[in-house]
Amino acid sequence: MYPPKLQQIVELFEVLPDIEKRETLITYADQAKSKEPREGETFDLEDVRKDEECTDTVGIFLKVNPDRTTRYRVALGPQVQTLTKAMTAILCKGLEGITIEQVLDVPADFVPKIVGADLVRQRSQTVYYILTRMKSAATVWRNRDRAANLA
Amino acid sequence: MSSYAHPEALVTTDWLAGHLNDSDIRIVESNEDVLLYSTGHIPGAVHIDWRSDLQDQTVRDYISPAAFAELAAKNGIGRDTTVVFYGDKSNWWACYALWAFRLFGHPNVKILDGGRDKWIAEGRPTTREVPGPAPAEYPVPPKRYDDEIRAFFDDALAQSRGRKPLIDVRSPGEFVGDVTHMPEYPQEGVLRGGHVPGAKSVPWKRAVKDDATFKSADDLRAIYEGEAGLKPGDDVIAYCRIGERSSHTWFVLTYLLGYEKVRNYDGSWTEWGNKVLAPIAKGA
Repeated sequence: MYPPKLQQIVELFEVLPDIEKRETLITYADQAKSKEPREGETFDLEDVRKDEECTDTVGIFLKVNPDRTTRYRVALGPQVQTLTKAMTAILCKGLEGITIEQVLDVPADFVPKIVGADLVRQRSQTVYYILTRMKSAATVWRNRDRAANLA
Repeated sequence: MSSYAHPEALVTTDWLAGHLNDSDIRIVESNEDVLLYSTGHIPGAVHIDWRSDLQDQTVRDYISPAAFAELAAKNGIGRDTTVVFYGDKSNWWACYALWAFRLFGHPNVKILDGGRDKWIAEGRPTTREVPGPAPAEYPVPPKRYDDEIRAFFDDALAQSRGRKPLIDVRSPGEFVGDVTHMPEYPQEGVLRGGHVPGAKSVPWKRAVKDDATFKSADDLRAIYEGEAGLKPGDDVIAYCRIGERSSHTWFVLTYLLGYEKVRNYDGSWTEWGNKVLAPIAKGA
């Protein structure tokens, strides 16, 4: 099982024919811009970098509430591929409100269910990239939190 | 200042903007980003995917002449249609699609200089409306021109052993063998790094300017002839990792510099770097 909001997205994609899957991915890609950090927002962790796995810079911004629930914002460079934009919007929505530990437990096997096996084969690392970066940010935050608690 | 050998193979964004509705022209977008066409494209442009449309889905090969005729016909392309290709990544995949069309002998092919990036940067119109061109008649090509413009492993090996021109268009890191894929791209299953012995390194990107348009003929000659030592009349094989970047260089050498014997080795490094006993050179 995936986090509830992600589960809803997966269930939607699973019943769509391929052409509508692609159209829905485009719709999500269009929403990626709205997932950028907003004026006045503050974050507990900011990780902005350009990796070899992605065609442009990706910034992950993580806010962790006292109850350990999370909110992600993601800033994408202009050269980022459409599929990466779509996965950004899907993950920002699908992981919204879950805890750090739940983020780290999200299995990556939902990706082919959303994207379709063909696209996963074509862009095998790209489609997992945003999830990997979000988990990486969650790991860093958790390690810092543990270190702070030990101190 | 010299001109391109075949200037008719390039069209400008201005020219294309004035010919969007010409009935004898079909605009074809071909991208690396598999969803990019759907986010907006030049009005009237159809989409041809380099992998699902042009490649055989089982054997590592291109589609048959009959399948090509079917693909062209359904996209409203007749044998006499002028096909203008454009796409992302400075026209990598547009050149690849153009090269594939030439494999089937389609005569009238052009590249939009600057590709998708220039069209968008200039604020020209795009649409998400997918055109539904009336199907055309396209006779099944009598042959595929593999012998003329495509090289296979044995051809590249003979080229290497015969010390004939081989142009490696990959990034410098791939050429010297430090990495087996270009920066920013997934590792696509290559076991060995390096280059074909005797190959000269001329990264494909040296052929284009910052705005994705091609460099002048003089600049291109300085690179390919002055630096890499090619001469008009040479029998040249270009390769990269899967044949897409090298189709860009194939276009430059064939259409812009007028070389008459240029072949694209589409097996490229994903074949050579995995092939048992294939000779490999490392370093610059």
